[in-house]
Amino acid sequence: MSVAEPAFALEVRGLSKHFGGVYAVEDCSFQAPLGQVTGLIGPNGAGKSTAIDLISGFKLPDAGTVIFKGRRLEGLPPHRISRLGLVRTFQAPREWPALTVLENVVMANWDAGRESFFQGVFGLGRAQREAATQELAKARRIISELGLDAVRNERAGSLSGGQKRLVEFARIRMAQPELVILDEPMGGVNPVMGERMAVAIEGFIASGTSVIVVEHNLPFIERVTQHVIVMAQGTVIAEGPFESLRSSQAVVDAYLGEVVGDASS
Amino acid sequence: MSAYVVSVLTEGAIFGIMALGLNVIWGWSGDFDLAYYGYVAIGAYMTLVLTIGAPTPPAQYILGLQLPYPLAVVGAIATSMAVGLVVGLIALRHLRGIYFSIVTLGAVYVMYVMAGQYVPLVDGYNGLSGLFDPMGDWFGLDYQSYQYFFLGLSLVCFVLVFLFTARISGSRFGMALRTLREDERAAAAFGRDIYRLKLKGYVLGAGLAGFAGALFAAYLSAFNPSAWSPVEVIVLYSAVLVGGRGNIWGVALGVLIMGMLVQESTRFLPMLPGLGQLNTLHPQVLLALRGVVIGLVLVLFLRFRPQGLLPERRYVDREPVAPASMPAT
Repeated sequence: MSVAEPAFALEVRGLSKHFGGVYAVEDCSFQAPLGQVTGLIGPNGAGKSTAIDLISGFKLPDAGTVIFKGRRLEGLPPHRISRLGLVRTFQAPREWPALTVLENVVMANWDAGRESFFQGVFGLGRAQREAATQELAKARRIISELGLDAVRNERAGSLSGGQKRLVEFARIRMAQPELVILDEPMGGVNPVMGERMAVAIEGFIASGTSVIVVEHNLPFIERVTQHVIVMAQGTVIAEGPFESLRSSQAVVDAYLGEVVGDASS
Repeated sequence: MSAYVVSVLTEGAIFGIMALGLNVIWGWSGDFDLAYYGYVAIGAYMTLVLTIGAPTPPAQYILGLQLPYPLAVVGAIATSMAVGLVVGLIALRHLRGIYFSIVTLGAVYVMYVMAGQYVPLVDGYNGLSGLFDPMGDWFGLDYQSYQYFFLGLSLVCFVLVFLFTARISGSRFGMALRTLREDERAAAAFGRDIYRLKLKGYVLGAGLAGFAGALFAAYLSAFNPSAWSPVEVIVLYSAVLVGGRGNIWGVALGVLIMGMLVQESTRFLPMLPGLGQLNTLHPQVLLALRGVVIGLVLVLFLRFRPQGLLPERRYVDREPVAPASMPAT
């Protein structure tokens, strides 16, 4: 198995997962370009969420390879994948509800040195205290950029759905991964907030984070992505720029016809 | 100070150490551990078998050493942590919520039945005794002054444990434990090794339980299955819940209220008209009433103030806010 070419943020080959006799993902292969926003779309039950779980280590694949930064990820536990620089979100916002917004953002930065039990008991060294100060300043800056200043001391669980999404975005900015996979970031978010999220996604690219975004909201996909992968029945049926997919009969059959109609009505 | 007050305060200090340890496991990591009192018992048993010397037949128990008390305490803590590690390795791997609780309940019953039924271990239902006034002869204390000495020792230990947990509470390690309680999938997505981190918290809590058990053994001079039923842990949970889960000041307050005030006030129930007579006829009534009172307080708190009297603190950032580049919603 050769390693990924550097032009790809992520390469998936022949990924499969079945539950009992049902294949959720079957022989799924695609590549996500580096430094771009890749959309992953498809009807409900197409296997998008399972594919994300397989890539990020939350489920074990039955077969296939996932290549990230020249390393194979399959079989690694989620925290190892995260530490390599691949962070994901979930369909429902998963903030840490009793922690404040600021604490949520600070704790998105994993720091082995400062997080150990012994550091907790014996305190931090000078360099570590310096790192903690800079981390706090960075968290404040990110919160400010995302317009969450007013709620930074609120417990994250008390925020609105849209604000929770922004907190998740702030956590990603904090973690600064090389690749982020967003699982339906627009779920339950109003259109005004949607534009802010599109801007935030552009911010990820600007800060060196490639993006894969799973989304049912096709106008949003059209707005933010450069490349789109269409999944149906567990496998990739088409890919290319969003515009080119409109004319693909397979895509229209599987998905676009019905949903674009809904979205424009 | 009357002997009664001295005993209540000593018990309160030991109970406080237990509650602070439980707060690590339940308050921070978020696991409803029913095996917790088992680690207290292991600490107590270990302290005894390490200090009281060889058994005189027909009594039988393991080890039977005559170590100095402080060394036995270290041994007790280490043993509780080791058993906690074994239970944690099994129970924390995949199980969460009620499933974790059921497995830990199973674990504590195994410990309880082993201690009570397998006689060569710790002499079954007879239990162990004979740890009289440890360290008392080092300072030449008589029985009276020893009670004050041991109260002081317990209070010092409580304060040390309190400062220790306060340090952990404010540390990055403590925050990482809380992210597991709040949402462990998100914690994993941001680089936290859930299993290892939860194990660390669990073993730490078990160690504090063992420490409390070691003090408890010295306070009682003895330990046997009637000194611990697996239900004891509920009283500890009630203290943590009433005071404020996750907040160590709250836990201390909860110990004061549930461990000392409520428990002790039930002693005076026989003074109420009617109850005194009933108590003389059925001595078990008082014990049952104690359970009723604690249960009632627990239910009221769960219904009306589940976050406890002193909820977990949050870090409030007071740095002046820079002008936002985007409007807040």
